[in-house]
Amino acid sequence: MLQTAFNGLVTGIIIALPALAITLLFGVLKFPNFAVGSMMTVAAYMVYALNVQLGWPLLPATAVVAVAFGFICIALDYVTFRPLRDRGGITLMVASLGLGFVLENVARFAYGNAARSFAIELARPFRFFDIRMNREQMTAMVVATIAMALMYVLLTRMPVGRAMRAVADNPSLALVRGIDSASIIRWTWFITGVLLAVGGVLIGMDRALEPPMGTSYVIAVFSAAILGGLGSPLGAFVGALLIGLVSELATLVIPPNYRIGIPLCVIALVLIFRPQGIFGQMYIRR
Amino acid sequence: MSTVVCFSAILALALNFQWGLGGMVNFGLAGFYALGAYSCALLMLKGGFNTFFAALGAMGIVALVCGLVALVTLRVTEEDYFAIVTLGVGEMLRLVALNEDWLTKGALGLTGIPRPLGELIPPPVYLYFMLALSVVLVAACVWVLGRLSRSPFGRVVRAVREDDVVAATLGKNVLWARVRIFAIGGALIGLAGSLHAFYFQYIDPTQFSTIVIAYAFMAVIAGGRGAHVGAVAGAAAVMLLLEGSRFAKELVPGLESDQLAAVRIIIIGIGLIMLLIYRPHGFMREYRLQVPLKHSPGQARPQPPKEAPT
Repeated sequence: MLQTAFNGLVTGIIIALPALAITLLFGVLKFPNFAVGSMMTVAAYMVYALNVQLGWPLLPATAVVAVAFGFICIALDYVTFRPLRDRGGITLMVASLGLGFVLENVARFAYGNAARSFAIELARPFRFFDIRMNREQMTAMVVATIAMALMYVLLTRMPVGRAMRAVADNPSLALVRGIDSASIIRWTWFITGVLLAVGGVLIGMDRALEPPMGTSYVIAVFSAAILGGLGSPLGAFVGALLIGLVSELATLVIPPNYRIGIPLCVIALVLIFRPQGIFGQMYIRR
Repeated sequence: MSTVVCFSAILALALNFQWGLGGMVNFGLAGFYALGAYSCALLMLKGGFNTFFAALGAMGIVALVCGLVALVTLRVTEEDYFAIVTLGVGEMLRLVALNEDWLTKGALGLTGIPRPLGELIPPPVYLYFMLALSVVLVAACVWVLGRLSRSPFGRVVRAVREDDVVAATLGKNVLWARVRIFAIGGALIGLAGSLHAFYFQYIDPTQFSTIVIAYAFMAVIAGGRGAHVGAVAGAAAVMLLLEGSRFAKELVPGLESDQLAAVRIIIIGIGLIMLLIYRPHGFMREYRLQVPLKHSPGQARPQPPKEAPT
């Protein structure tokens, strides 16, 4: 029970990163990006290339890829989403689906369907009152917590973060106040790229590297973001922890094959009882 | 081969109805397609129904599930959430097909699915019969959908797509209209699934992967959102192009079949994005009631209002 709860917490903290990425993007660009899963996959394979094929240690490899992937996301936005920006949310959503297909299959084309893993030495799991934690889980917790803390500082203390929140909150007002929305969009994509790259590596460490690895998390990630309230960074974090906990604990009751049903039920319940999520505000479109 | 084009044409018609006409994105298409094929097969194998009633039953079941999904989700929220829910439901349906061995035989799949009039028509001729049947059904679907979208209901549907608030203000029941659109689309998906089951006589969960969604979206975008004939033409073009690319294997040596499949999906994805950017209205126009306006001669169709930049 405790063990399951701990595993759930780790899963939750891993999906917190992509959930935060989705929620930031949604806040600024107002569309749900279905390509997040494949983006994580591609970033994880890039780290794999540096880590396994070139023999770099995992940490510098992840750092380099995270920055590079930030720029890749800006480039992807430039060719895919920017031309469609004023066409409304549904078009952007479908475009993100297409982008997801492309990215996932680029990874499949390059590395095939076989599962792979990073070059990390195996370590004996570490015990703490009856809870078994392995090295990967500890790393995931530490890395994700640091990333979250940095994001918090960025969003609340730094001019860029404040500008991002301003654009998310009220784009016209932000524009009137002289905030350059194009540069804010670039920043948002960059941060998204970094978060997704780190998230992808953590997923790859926790499970294995295979082309559908990122996509299989999409529903959980979205339900975390929706539970927390789409557009609310703190909500994404709390939502992710809750989703991770609930879906692991639920495997005590339901067959693990249907784990994905839990986030789905959570989405349904949230939509019925509190559509704005825990921390979100009701917003009226148009 | 051409029979398969017909199934995807029906799928494209369904998606076109749900998305093109109704403005509701269905990312769970593959799952609903599987639901259609499995319900049809199971109604015959376990329920002992004949082929006609099994197909009808499959249409009813998929329509019901789609309607329920729409009812629960759209009661409270906007399209963004709806896409996520359909994605999730589609995935769940696939998982059920994969894991409930007692019902669906899991990954082994269901075999020996009977065919309509299978005993009467000898196997060599059967392929042609199946093709003819599918073509007739596609034509019937186009006709029915064409009638529907020209009917008052069709106008309500488009009004809801363009601006649900205005439609609601005019006293239209937005939720009910959306539920009906989605359910009708579901019935078509069920029909396509049944044909799939009849044609292959064997179904397993791997036949209903994401590539089904990619094909259908590509077909609808290429054909022009809202244009039924366009969706059929789009489906035919996409299927022929992409299935034709199977033969490219001989042209490009050194590619494994996994890689070739990946390249195919990459092409679809890029094509999808390029079409959205450069040809947003596809290659055929949606039917619109055109009234020549007195005030602006020469401009029969007012420009659609641009959405507010976000």
